[in-house]
Amino acid sequence: MSTIRLQRMPIAPAKVSFVLRIISVLLALLTTAIVLWATGRDPIALGGKVISSTFGSTFGLEDLSLLLSPLIYCGLAVAVALRIGAWNIGAEGQFNFGAFCAAGIALFVPGPTWLILILMMVAGAIGGALWILIPTLARAYADVSELITTLLMNFVAMLLVYWVATGPWLDPSGMALATTARLPVSVPPVWGIVHWGLPIGIILAFALALFFTYTRWGYEVRIAGANAGAASYAGMPVKTQLIGVMLLSGAIAGLGGMMEVAGTVGRLQGGISNNYGYIGIMVAVLARAAPLGVLATAFFMAVILNGGIILQSQGLTTHTVLAVTGLILLYAAIGDEAAHYKVLRTKTGES
Amino acid sequence: MISTKSLSRRGFLNMGAAAGAGLILPKTGLIKPAYAAGPLAPVAEEDAHIAFGHTGPTSDEGWTWAHDQGMKAVEAAFPKLRTSYVESIPYAADATRIFRQFVADDACMVFATSNYGDFLYDVAKRAPDVAFYEADGRNPLDNLGTYYVSHWYPSYVAGIAAGAMSPSGKLGYVASFPVPSVYSGTNAFLMGARTVNPEATLQTIVINSWFDPQAATQAGTALIDNGCDVLFGIMDEAGYLQVAEERGAKAVMWNTDLRRYGPNAYISSIIVDFKEFYVEQVRRRLAGEWTPSYDLLPFGGGVNVDAWGETVPADVAAKADAVKASIMDGSFNPFMGELKDTKGNIKVAAGQTMTEEELYHWNWSIEGVSGLDT
Repeated sequence: MSTIRLQRMPIAPAKVSFVLRIISVLLALLTTAIVLWATGRDPIALGGKVISSTFGSTFGLEDLSLLLSPLIYCGLAVAVALRIGAWNIGAEGQFNFGAFCAAGIALFVPGPTWLILILMMVAGAIGGALWILIPTLARAYADVSELITTLLMNFVAMLLVYWVATGPWLDPSGMALATTARLPVSVPPVWGIVHWGLPIGIILAFALALFFTYTRWGYEVRIAGANAGAASYAGMPVKTQLIGVMLLSGAIAGLGGMMEVAGTVGRLQGGISNNYGYIGIMVAVLARAAPLGVLATAFFMAVILNGGIILQSQGLTTHTVLAVTGLILLYAAIGDEAAHYKVLRTKTGES
Repeated sequence: MISTKSLSRRGFLNMGAAAGAGLILPKTGLIKPAYAAGPLAPVAEEDAHIAFGHTGPTSDEGWTWAHDQGMKAVEAAFPKLRTSYVESIPYAADATRIFRQFVADDACMVFATSNYGDFLYDVAKRAPDVAFYEADGRNPLDNLGTYYVSHWYPSYVAGIAAGAMSPSGKLGYVASFPVPSVYSGTNAFLMGARTVNPEATLQTIVINSWFDPQAATQAGTALIDNGCDVLFGIMDEAGYLQVAEERGAKAVMWNTDLRRYGPNAYISSIIVDFKEFYVEQVRRRLAGEWTPSYDLLPFGGGVNVDAWGETVPADVAAKADAVKASIMDGSFNPFMGELKDTKGNIKVAAGQTMTEEELYHWNWSIEGVSGLDT
């Protein structure tokens, strides 16, 4: 007589997890469809509406691309830190502080547009790195969990942006409320209203993928992330790497903030990040911290979030849309975990 | 010369100039002489799609609920047209996506029931055939009008009752953002209170949201801990009223009658009503008469003080009602100099009256208000 046993494998086979992920998304959509159908709506018509509105028009594709940009930056930021085993829950704050630094350059430094834009990118990246500096040093030298410190820094950054945008940097014209003046420079468009933030983010993802795969530093980071003790024993500078990678993580999120404020929104104001930093955590986890995977999962999240907006305009409440989004992520997470298991048949009675 | 079409509101035409409705001219005169271009083309009722974008949930029993009632009035008046709405729109790029989605869905008219600034402006600019309205808007276009309520008058009247019912003379205010509607609301409220208690002061706490019951409750608690015994605010829900009820303080609310959440604490509320405004604007849009207007719904029509709470003494109510009547008949305007800001500078000279536009764009605190000016 044989029994069926499940064995957990440390690494899920890529093919299995890919198939399971597709199945889990389909199951989530099916569950949603059943619930919608049970509440008297037409799930097929709604689904068709989401697809045609997102992919069937220039306007839908533009919106999707604009939403994709901050998700890529925040996803990459979290993913990079995960490579060395650090949880950057603070992409939200670094995004805000990067946007703040970039807006400061745009508002107060005169100069030719190209120079100001470069300065803004540098300022955004440095701002993001600065915002994670204290959690980084605390983690590297005092073993303080970055999970808590990066999270707490978020609230400080968000309140700082609210304060400057409604106080010292408030638009003096009186034509806009609770925001700075429109920035005099903006990231140039590449297609329609989609600006260069998106292609730069995609290039960044490829650069990071190459970096982690082909450089010694990238290799050492991977080893340190997998087993810091072993890496240290092998003579790798784990602490230096940790500091470098976490600052890089913050810089990427800060650059994302710069692109959002200078490309999409055009003004610095409270709430511009709109939880992108937190969604970035989901993006990175679903991508298993692989930079190229981030491109795929960020696209997936952008489609879901944009679909949510379309569903809202069709009369579904925010809460329903949030539940649908959560359901898809829950199923995807279950599918990911399931991919680690292998079904084994064993005969009982044998040892 | 730009003229607004007068609203079909009873009692509107015989209102005095001080409380009159009217026209909010943008501060820097950005209105283009576009009216020559004529109104937007008429739309058949069965083809029309009217969309509403809200800052909070329609179930808030406050601001968004009041606008949702307006939408229902539109549905009742024009049963063949289609309406849609989206709740809880963040002040971020998502707002642009939602307004663009309305346009993609062939909306012929879009009401943003809060100030979405550029997130709406950029969409309106690219959709010249769609009529847009922005509540508390500042930046008009040929197809983007603004509308708001002259809430400073009822705030002043409620302030009189608040001043009389505050033994300590310390008033508290739960603010959303340091924006003109908060400046005018706090200033008007304190000015009203000072007519009965010249020593009264008002402390504000800014919570960076119009709808955040938890933060509003915390702010209300902090204000009462600081010694405030009457709370006011500009929240879309009843959070700080419940705090006041528990702590034995009093409260003045916004938007709707919320007395059942705190019958002992409830003084009154700044009641808003957009039904007639919405029906009239949709009628103009369908009829091909629509050009953007810059409307302030007047005191007594669109905005008012609610019936007094059960613990408001009769003499206090009578006194406030007398002032209310004198504002409504135009014989009294409370917003007269001399008014000083928090640093003691004279901002409105003695004998000078603030115009409706100045009240709409008010962006400084009067002496005695703390927590807003930086």
